[in-house]
Amino acid sequence: MTLFLQQFVNGIALGSVYSLVALGLTLVYGVLKVPNFAHGALYMAGAYVSYVMLTSFGASYIVAMAVSVVVLAVLGGSMEWLVFRRLEGKTPVHAMIAALGLLFFMEGTADVIWGPTFRQVPTPFDGVVTLLGVNITEQRILVIVAAVVTMVGLYLLLKRTLVGMSIEAMAQDREGALLVGIDTRRVALLTFAISGALAAVAGSLIAPLLLVFPNMGELIILKAFVIVILGGMGSVPGAILGGYLLALAETMAGTYVSFAFSELIAFGLLVLVLVIRPTGLFQKGV
Amino acid sequence: MMSDHPIRDRPRSLGTVLLAGLLLATGCSGDGQGGTDSDGLEVVNIGFVGPLSGGAAYYGRNVQRGITMAADEIAEAGGFEVDGRRFRFEIVSLDDRYLPYETATAVRRLLQQNQTPVILVPHAGGIRVVQEMNTREPKFLLAAYSSEPSILEAENPLMLMLPPRFDGYQEPWVEVMMGRFGTRLALVPTTTAYGRAWTEAVSAEWTRQGGTLGRDHGVDYNTTTDFTGAVSRALADEPDVLFIGGPSQPTALVIRAAREQGFEGGLLIMDQAKFMEMLDIVPIESLEGAIGVYPVETYPTPGAPLFAARYYERFGADSPSPTSEIAINYQALYLIARAMTLAGTTTDPEAIRARADEAARTLPQEVRVYEVAGVTDVGLITRDVFTAHIVDGKFVSIRIPVPGGAP
Repeated sequence: MTLFLQQFVNGIALGSVYSLVALGLTLVYGVLKVPNFAHGALYMAGAYVSYVMLTSFGASYIVAMAVSVVVLAVLGGSMEWLVFRRLEGKTPVHAMIAALGLLFFMEGTADVIWGPTFRQVPTPFDGVVTLLGVNITEQRILVIVAAVVTMVGLYLLLKRTLVGMSIEAMAQDREGALLVGIDTRRVALLTFAISGALAAVAGSLIAPLLLVFPNMGELIILKAFVIVILGGMGSVPGAILGGYLLALAETMAGTYVSFAFSELIAFGLLVLVLVIRPTGLFQKGV
Repeated sequence: MMSDHPIRDRPRSLGTVLLAGLLLATGCSGDGQGGTDSDGLEVVNIGFVGPLSGGAAYYGRNVQRGITMAADEIAEAGGFEVDGRRFRFEIVSLDDRYLPYETATAVRRLLQQNQTPVILVPHAGGIRVVQEMNTREPKFLLAAYSSEPSILEAENPLMLMLPPRFDGYQEPWVEVMMGRFGTRLALVPTTTAYGRAWTEAVSAEWTRQGGTLGRDHGVDYNTTTDFTGAVSRALADEPDVLFIGGPSQPTALVIRAAREQGFEGGLLIMDQAKFMEMLDIVPIESLEGAIGVYPVETYPTPGAPLFAARYYERFGADSPSPTSEIAINYQALYLIARAMTLAGTTTDPEAIRARADEAARTLPQEVRVYEVAGVTDVGLITRDVFTAHIVDGKFVSIRIPVPGGAP
């Protein structure tokens, strides 16, 4: 029972990580209609900005994250403005290739600046809490709580603000949004900026648990894609639930079957959902 | 502790990238073998095909750094003599992203464009592919940097196996671990081909010495995001010793996860992970009771501290510690230069290979980081190996006798 509880907590922590990354990805999908592979690179960049703020500028953890959010919002916005805007009207393949190109470009840039060295992000939350025989680090508690806060924040933004509603409108029907007077270009730019900010939050929160290196985004972005497809492309609640679902499935399957199969579970689940419900678990019909 | 990293690594990484570009450029221009540079030294191209991008880039660049350091030193010292002429090495590097089929493509390119008489490959998968290629024309010497003993099975006549084979480690390590901690072993190793071979060897030895094995909870260290799940599962079996290992950095994360969850037993760590690199991520207290390969800097040979001093002089006192990836390949390049001198040729791989044993035995003292004893018929460079067991925060050495007997 202790093992089950421990693994449940581990699964929820991992699920928070997955969901945080998947959120930004699904948001951009709504606007771009292609998977933004470069989101993994934004996540990586967010972690590096926090790392530099913490180690070279001696900033506090919260300040480092705030700076990272601002920098990545700008970076995300410029990505739309410099690249994806120019590809409007072209086939989705163009945007997809551009996204892949951006991923490799940003990884290469990080490699030139910081080298392939693995770096550790210091965190003030490095204690361990033990409850009912379950061990969890403070940083993981922070990740779980911050993920919930971020999700609620994003929900409020989408449902209660004009910007958010414009994003939703555009995700549902780009031409319709244009017809009712929404500045779709501005909304696209904002969506990318928000997705960059989300990547920064994810990168900064997760970095102390793992290590920071140029290819760190590649590992997690594949999982995020699985989640976005599981949850339904473009669906925000889908990304959240999909993240927890995938992480729990991986952890529990690892515990009671074998960890050698945990990758198999992730991609097996993907194939299963695509066969049974190709629109994803939480996607409403359009 | 880590605050100086970005500043420290910037010039070198830029330099590496520029250098790689430059080398590629000279390669593509058909410059090839046998040119003479401004110092009046003739150039021998040495091929390096390994991961220079992707998750294993850090590892690949370390290997590259070792041979580049040796090549630079040799050139600065006026080159090496072969049959009355003086030569220096030029390292031509190609990226294979750790993928064996890419290794094969890169090797073909090196042979066509750079006429490399020697090609270094730092992973078993790539080595196996290249073993199919190096005995056909154009022949070349394969410098194999992998501790996996199975690469010797092909009995490739043109191969040098640079590191010690890992199957010498299990018997003494298991003995030490059982003596100090107990007989229950849990396994969370990496699941690469190398990791599986290691796991098999250690499992067999553990049961042979009368211990009990938990189930294998191995995960791929290169693709796993979070190790806590696998570690929690393994610790639920209440082991005395944990068998782990893969690249140093994820291995350190596994150790951190285990210690966070209250594990106080021993750690039996595969030879791929290096203590000095793990110490960048976890404190020495977390490594208490660990057993693994000995750090180069304090290796108990006369040559090791000399090498470390030259390393820090070249790369700066605040450089990351030299690992055996750097040191073993560094020494290997000197050994190859020596074999070329003895053979009187820089182009005939068979003649060079034939003198490798003598080269190992007569290698000059100042570049003997490790006390190499010779080269066996199948190409293994033999030597006494020292491994380390951490007791009260200190490295205690455990000697592993020359494997496979004398050369």
